[in-house]
Amino acid sequence: MSMKDVYIVDGKRTPQAKAGLDLKDVQAPYLGAYLVKHLIDNTEIPTDMVDEVIFGNTGTPAKYPNVGRVIALEAGLHKKTSGYSVHRNCASGMEAVSQAYLKIASGRSDIIVAGGVESMSQMPLMYNKEMTDLFAKLMKAKSVTEKLSAMSSFRPNFLTPIIAIEQGLTDPFCGLNMGQTAELLARELKITREMQDTYANNSHAKAVAATKSGRFKDEILPITIGGSLNKLLVDDVGPRENSTVEGLGKMKPYFDKKSGTVTVGNSCPITDGGSALLFASEEAVKKYNLKPIAKLVDYHFHGLEPERMGMGPLLAMDGVMRRTKLSLSDFDLFELNEAFAAQILAVSIALKDKEVAARFNVDIAWGELDWSRVNVNGGGIALGHPVGSTGSRLIVSLIHELKKRKGRYGLASLCIGGGQGGAVVVENLIR
Amino acid sequence: MSYHKISFEVKEKIAYVGFGLNNTRSMNTLDIATMTELASIVEELHTKSSDLTGVIFFSHKENCFLAGADITLIASLTTESEAADKSEQGQNIFNRIEDLPIPTIACVDGVCLGGGLELSLSCKTILASNSSKTQLGLPEVKLGIIPGFGGTYRLPRKIGLPNALDMILTGKTLRADKAKKVGLVTEVYPKENLLAMAPKFFNRKNPSHSLKESMKELATENFVTRKIIFQKVRESVLKKTNGFYQAPLKILDVMDSGMMKGRTSYLAGEAQAFGELAISEQSKNLQHIYFMSEGVKKYSGPKSTKALPVLERGAALGAGTMGGGIAWLMADAGMHPIMKDLTVEALNLGLKQSSSNFAGALKRKKISPDEFERRQRSITAQLDYSGFQKVDLLIEAVVENMDIKKKVFAEAEKNVHRDCLLTSNTSSLSVEEMSKALEFPQRFAGLHFFNPVHLMPLVEIIVHSKVDPETVEALYKWVLRVKKTPVVVKDGPGFLVNRILMPYLNEAGFLLEEGVSLKDLDQAALNFGMPMGPGRLLDEVGIDVAVKVAKVMYEGLGERAHPSKFSSKLAEKNFLGKKNAKGFYLYDEKGKVIGPNTELDDLLPKERKKMSETEIQMRLFLPMINEAAAILKDGIVQTASEVDLGLIFGIGFPPFRGGLLRYADSEGLDKILAALQNFSSTVDKERYNPSQYLIDLVENKTNFYEKAK
Repeated sequence: MSMKDVYIVDGKRTPQAKAGLDLKDVQAPYLGAYLVKHLIDNTEIPTDMVDEVIFGNTGTPAKYPNVGRVIALEAGLHKKTSGYSVHRNCASGMEAVSQAYLKIASGRSDIIVAGGVESMSQMPLMYNKEMTDLFAKLMKAKSVTEKLSAMSSFRPNFLTPIIAIEQGLTDPFCGLNMGQTAELLARELKITREMQDTYANNSHAKAVAATKSGRFKDEILPITIGGSLNKLLVDDVGPRENSTVEGLGKMKPYFDKKSGTVTVGNSCPITDGGSALLFASEEAVKKYNLKPIAKLVDYHFHGLEPERMGMGPLLAMDGVMRRTKLSLSDFDLFELNEAFAAQILAVSIALKDKEVAARFNVDIAWGELDWSRVNVNGGGIALGHPVGSTGSRLIVSLIHELKKRKGRYGLASLCIGGGQGGAVVVENLIR
Repeated sequence: MSYHKISFEVKEKIAYVGFGLNNTRSMNTLDIATMTELASIVEELHTKSSDLTGVIFFSHKENCFLAGADITLIASLTTESEAADKSEQGQNIFNRIEDLPIPTIACVDGVCLGGGLELSLSCKTILASNSSKTQLGLPEVKLGIIPGFGGTYRLPRKIGLPNALDMILTGKTLRADKAKKVGLVTEVYPKENLLAMAPKFFNRKNPSHSLKESMKELATENFVTRKIIFQKVRESVLKKTNGFYQAPLKILDVMDSGMMKGRTSYLAGEAQAFGELAISEQSKNLQHIYFMSEGVKKYSGPKSTKALPVLERGAALGAGTMGGGIAWLMADAGMHPIMKDLTVEALNLGLKQSSSNFAGALKRKKISPDEFERRQRSITAQLDYSGFQKVDLLIEAVVENMDIKKKVFAEAEKNVHRDCLLTSNTSSLSVEEMSKALEFPQRFAGLHFFNPVHLMPLVEIIVHSKVDPETVEALYKWVLRVKKTPVVVKDGPGFLVNRILMPYLNEAGFLLEEGVSLKDLDQAALNFGMPMGPGRLLDEVGIDVAVKVAKVMYEGLGERAHPSKFSSKLAEKNFLGKKNAKGFYLYDEKGKVIGPNTELDDLLPKERKKMSETEIQMRLFLPMINEAAAILKDGIVQTASEVDLGLIFGIGFPPFRGGLLRYADSEGLDKILAALQNFSSTVDKERYNPSQYLIDLVENKTNFYEKAK
């Protein structure tokens, strides 16, 4: 089957804020709906001509089991617009984008909005199994004695809640917390505490500079916040101007408290945010006189052992470069998620070290990463990692920065909890 | 007998009585023909009652059970006895329904008001549909009358005295769920199931009261507490209406004195009160307003020849109090508006305004928390023109400066599609002049809202020489759609309302300078029925704004609009009114009046002048009448009722007076003219110089309303 070109008309994201801060009251759909509305309003596309709205989300709020469809409606799109949600952990937003790509490339659809949203502030506390069982018994109990007997089985520890977010960040297969997988890579590849802290500090410095110089203006759309919804949030809440390597060095290791090197400071914070991109076929571009920023060239997802999930980007980048016949030096820009400083540093080592690459069944050394082209405006450590959104947020940031730099190819990649990696290649059209 | 207005059939021993048969209008009313048929049907029911298991009243009309008596019929009543007689006829029919020995059920879907609810109350059971259109109430008080078909007798017996008084005295309507809660309605069903469920209630005993209800009944249904309730309610009515309105007090008299009476003698009192009120001047004035408001619903401006532009998406330029209010209005109407301003701080002000409007609706349970979030979030606050190509109606509310506004329009026009309507919320600048900034002025007009947008119903649509009729008609229909009252006016200084308001505010300054106290001044206006005196109103408007507008008027109208210097003196001292908490009065953080601003005393003459209340009122209102005459002469609007509607809905001119010009007509224009001439020689030649239009009316022995017919 011959594939058609897939255009990225535009992409926008919310300002990102650490969980519990400025975006804490914004429910997940509202992190995406206004972006979608803006993307469509800014074109000649009528609100009833969008084929599909696809959103990545991992927290799946109980009130919004299908957040994608809710976003389509809240954005003011026609009721007939199909909408659904996808889940691929940290790459949910990228999964949404890849589905948009396939549907347009195959000729099934002409206009799709895809992205991701995550309100980590609003992830719930849940009853544990004992309490849930007790509720079930109570529901079944018919007589008073049955009810009393059920009640008598209650113990105070039944009320110990399960913290959804904590459970979500622990691998169900290998039992390691995400931070512990980063510790493992740091140990195996001898990535020191200082290397990690220096990397993290650099991420903050770049993000602060970008915010100050207005570099994010084209990609961030201010969002209405506050309990009474009466003010705008314009910038990211996260990048720290006063960050120093020394300061970061004083923080205690969080995941291996006795001998570890991974701290809260050199990891990405839990964050709220959303992002969305408008995709169109060549026909739609002509019909609605669209001025796309970029083309989506291809994507690749790849699995690996869950306990070394941080190495996912190696395999995903390897895969997508083989598909597109491009190599590291062809890319003018990279957006690589910084889940942990140790994790992204590990990927860079494996890219250039054939022996390390071989451990993950990659048979070539792709070469040295040019750090001057990686996360030029800071990454997840400073900006945060709203899990469902980051996969598409990276692409939003990538296309706008590529456009500013008049570069050609850009690559976005991230590691995925559970042991996967994802990567997307775009080609800038405004050069 | 055959029926044309009401269907009547018996199926399986159940009699079905259906209103709205062959009705082509949107509402069913109890007009004479319907009442006659109803009387005859009720007699037939009595005759056949032994063969029937029950009677069901329903409506053939969607969304309307019965909207009440025919108001044109009430308006045609001229004598007390004739009116009382009409009331008795209705009471008799409804008594006969109440006396039917078989079960009677009213199945209410849609509007059930006034006589419609009174009919339902005479049935043993009321069932209602859960449609959002279903509402039940007795709004007669709003027309200055008492429910005259037994409503004041039966409602307290159905839902208890406190709830009944609340409904009857405020005229408010209840949705089905609320009506069930107070016990007015027995059960609520989807409208499709209403008729099928009704027979299940034929033999149902009323459920026994809960302990709480019994306690409540014990507390309210005895002689002593009822007396106390009436006394309290009377006090609160007097406080709310300042004693200006007769109807609520009369209703209280009837209900209070009828407390221990039987049906016949109670209803005689109700009918007599109806007779008195229905032909009273006050009720006629309120009826006049009702008919004017109904008249407005039909567009009568310049005829359109092309299809009207569709106004789906909106935008507000400028995010101040007005911009925020306009964005709120658009968001509430589902227009997903864009609100644009130059800074994030300004946008936050606008968001604050719309948020507080929606929060009010949330507090009054008009919207749910989800709807609050959805509607407030449907406003996109932004600094650029992105997305404007989807906008169909743009309303500009930036600073009152012709050059800036022209620049804004020239820029905005480049960012919207060809059919987008561009409008200005200017309160004083020339719309004709502004239209020159546009490449396509035919789609431009003034669209003047009054502050605060969510409370003031009036919107002036200001036309100019190049405007398309389609633009005017589309705006007119849009204003109605967002539940406001439109009036089409020609361009001119202050348009309609502010031009008439100007002398009211201006004379206040002159009176203060003459030595009249602020207290006497504001009190005289309040005692006339104005919602606030000129001092308070100036504080609301903003004294600096008033000074600016006064200047525009002076430039446009000449010496008769010579501004008093008093306001500019205040503005110089930075007494700007409510917005900086200091004007004629002092304000607390919440904007509540603390007391008069004593610093003003230095600006006032040492010697105080005691002027009679009537004289102050004449000084304030005569120049308004005079200016209204000038407005009709200039053809700013065509009719007296447009002037009156504008003042009632724009500045809250007392409704019980029926409007400024209706008031003038009722006082006698010869008297008005003589008083003007008197002031013209004793106070100021220019300001009280009678308009030629008024002189002509007096010479031709006609009046404002006669002339404009």
